[in-house]
Amino acid sequence: MKLKLALLATIALVAMPSYLMAQERGGVINVATVGEPPTLDPMTSTADLVGIVTQHIFETLYTFDAKWNVTPLLAESLPEISADGKTYTIKLRDGIKFHDGSDMTSEDVVASLNRWTKLASRGKQAAEFIETITATDPATVTIQLKQSYAPLASLLAFNNSAAIILPAEKQADVMTDFVGTGPYTLKERKADQYIQLQRFDGYKSREGESDGYGGARHQYLDEIRFVPVPDPNTRVEAAVSGQYDYIDALPVESFDRLKSAQATQPLVLKPFGYPIFVFNTAEGNVKNVEIRRAIRQALSMEDMLAAAFGSTDFYALDGNIYPSNFAWSTDAGVEGNYNIADPEGAKEAATAAGYDGKPIRILTSRQYEFHYKMAQVAAEYLKLAGFAVDLQVVDWATLTQRRADKGLWDIYITHSPFLPEPALIGSLSPSSPGWWNTPARNAAVAAFSSEVDPEKRLKLWADVQKAMYDEVPYMKIGDFNGVSSKSTKLEGVEASPWPYFWNASVTK
Amino acid sequence: MIRYILQRIAGMIVVMFLVVTIVFVIVRVTPGDPAAVMLGPDATPQDIAELRTRLGLDQSIVAQYVFYIGQLLRGDLGQSIFLNMPVTSALLDRAEPTFFLTIFSLVIASVIALPIGIYAAYRRGSFVDQASTTIAMLAASIPSFWLGLILMQFFAVRFNIFPVSGYGGPGASFGERMYHLTLPAFALGLVSSALILRFTRASMLDVLGDDYIRTARAKGVVERRVVLKHALKNALIPILTVLGLTAAVLVSGAVVTETVFGLPGVGNLVVSAVLRRDYPVIQGALLVIAGLYVLINFAIDMLYLAVDPRVRY
Repeated sequence: MKLKLALLATIALVAMPSYLMAQERGGVINVATVGEPPTLDPMTSTADLVGIVTQHIFETLYTFDAKWNVTPLLAESLPEISADGKTYTIKLRDGIKFHDGSDMTSEDVVASLNRWTKLASRGKQAAEFIETITATDPATVTIQLKQSYAPLASLLAFNNSAAIILPAEKQADVMTDFVGTGPYTLKERKADQYIQLQRFDGYKSREGESDGYGGARHQYLDEIRFVPVPDPNTRVEAAVSGQYDYIDALPVESFDRLKSAQATQPLVLKPFGYPIFVFNTAEGNVKNVEIRRAIRQALSMEDMLAAAFGSTDFYALDGNIYPSNFAWSTDAGVEGNYNIADPEGAKEAATAAGYDGKPIRILTSRQYEFHYKMAQVAAEYLKLAGFAVDLQVVDWATLTQRRADKGLWDIYITHSPFLPEPALIGSLSPSSPGWWNTPARNAAVAAFSSEVDPEKRLKLWADVQKAMYDEVPYMKIGDFNGVSSKSTKLEGVEASPWPYFWNASVTK
Repeated sequence: MIRYILQRIAGMIVVMFLVVTIVFVIVRVTPGDPAAVMLGPDATPQDIAELRTRLGLDQSIVAQYVFYIGQLLRGDLGQSIFLNMPVTSALLDRAEPTFFLTIFSLVIASVIALPIGIYAAYRRGSFVDQASTTIAMLAASIPSFWLGLILMQFFAVRFNIFPVSGYGGPGASFGERMYHLTLPAFALGLVSSALILRFTRASMLDVLGDDYIRTARAKGVVERRVVLKHALKNALIPILTVLGLTAAVLVSGAVVTETVFGLPGVGNLVVSAVLRRDYPVIQGALLVIAGLYVLINFAIDMLYLAVDPRVRY
């Protein structure tokens, strides 16, 4: 009888889906990343890699749930916003400890937010609207605005250029002590070799279920090691061989190999982001909006995406700035302005607009091969439309320098993940290279930024998107998917633009 | 002799000064901005300008050069912009994998090339000679990174014997670190062995035809002693030169191989520094590499004295 029971129990365990089994505590994982982060201070950089690593060490007042809604993290709850939208009252959780053992108080939060408004790009963006940041009591912070500014909570929640909370006495401009409140502490960093994080025993997780970046953070793993593997082919081989537990940013061409591998399985983030052609609206050959429209008329987004990503398994034609799984998705302005592929019509439009035959300077990089492939297709379509094209292929560091000079380019190619809040899109800023700064832009963005009602904001975002399509400061080419891979022994990790591992565990 | 050494040292100082100046100018006129790389894609032009000021990159190129030379004269290679650590520390951190990779590769290359080269010369025209010459020619034509990818495909991915990349995690033992070096060392060693083999064979052939070898044989000296003592000792000078130059190439960082295998060595550091526009690291690394080349060449010339009593300076 005992034998029979034991047999039944074994069969039940084997038959039970793995997700129903409790995740085990313990273990070490190695995560292969695209390179070495330029800093471990996420306030001072907007690089995704910085956010991916440091979100385990530092925390913000808010973060995003699985549906990209703002949700509290170090704050007790969402901010109480006054009726005029100008006063944010933020209650803090109690019992939160920093990695040095000290308690987090409102003084730390005020000092950190002041550092954020001084050093972080997104903090400076918010600073224009902030009157004061004060500690009302040890567990409450009040932000007083000059005028209502709806993106504030999202800006406080984002993980790069991030409003991380640091001890009040550790606010130096150049961070040397990496003391946060996150579920993991920095144990050792050997540049270009590894960044070793270990579980923070004093961590106080939120209660309830995990929900995206929000909710409970379980800290199953003893250690997380981020290992830079800059060569994409090496990352693929390392994934297939099973050397790493998670491998970020793999070429889409590797999908079939990953699928047939035994040690690893591909993770597809669908969609991950969108390639963008940014126009120089300030100077040069495409300053004239009619010429920008003619260029858009000439191009086939479909052919560019096919050249860049190969199969429709990895891309989708979509003119809406946000895809359908985001509340922000709208087709405002898209009809008749996307994927037109009409070089002959474009030729007439360019002539009518006074195009003088000067080469259109397209600045691109092979650091991201899909940028280069799209540039090649675009160049051919533009030539068919009678444009002269000067394709300037440079490395990424050169591109980021040249794009800052209004006199050097007409179009540059970049890409972005889908950001949870449109106000986070860098290209919307008039100081961002492209320099879109027109009455239509300013009116649409100002109305969108100052409205606090979520429903009204959706409508106002549609107005911003329509202005983008009317004035063509940049062109979205389509949606593309991201491919990464994870060991078959790794649990609790989902495809994400900024993968996180505080809920990850390994099966033994 | 002393006069010769002093002349050589003076020449080395001039070479190093020229290297410092040329590298400084090339790095500064290359487009790209470390501040923009550090701050990320959404940084504003104002943020970038502020960081440039903090890093001293807004100064004129002459002012930066004077400051840099002053630093060098104090023995300071500067501070890495990206790694936020002294360039000397960054180089020392990367020296170990590169050093052991060099030794490992040289041992593999020598173990393969020297016996085969000697035997091929001794049995000139034999099957071993012809086969080794053909294989050496093929091996010399193969880029080491390509061979590395092939080795990686078989021994790391298919048979899972060696790791694909890295140099071992935190606390990795010496054995684990050498284990990570095995595939890249074989990739470099096999390719380097081709050149060493050809030089060994050619040098031995020259010597084996000399009168004193005939005399030794006529006196009844055992054949093994004729080849390994009389001939090899005199054939060593060109072989030493090739070994030295191979070592110089490897010590300066087998750039592509280190990158392919994700080894945190000097070559990888240089590539990363170029991509990040980390000027002090590029300058410091190239200065050290050039210095190593100059020193190794100097050491080879001094070794001639020990190996060949006829050499006098």
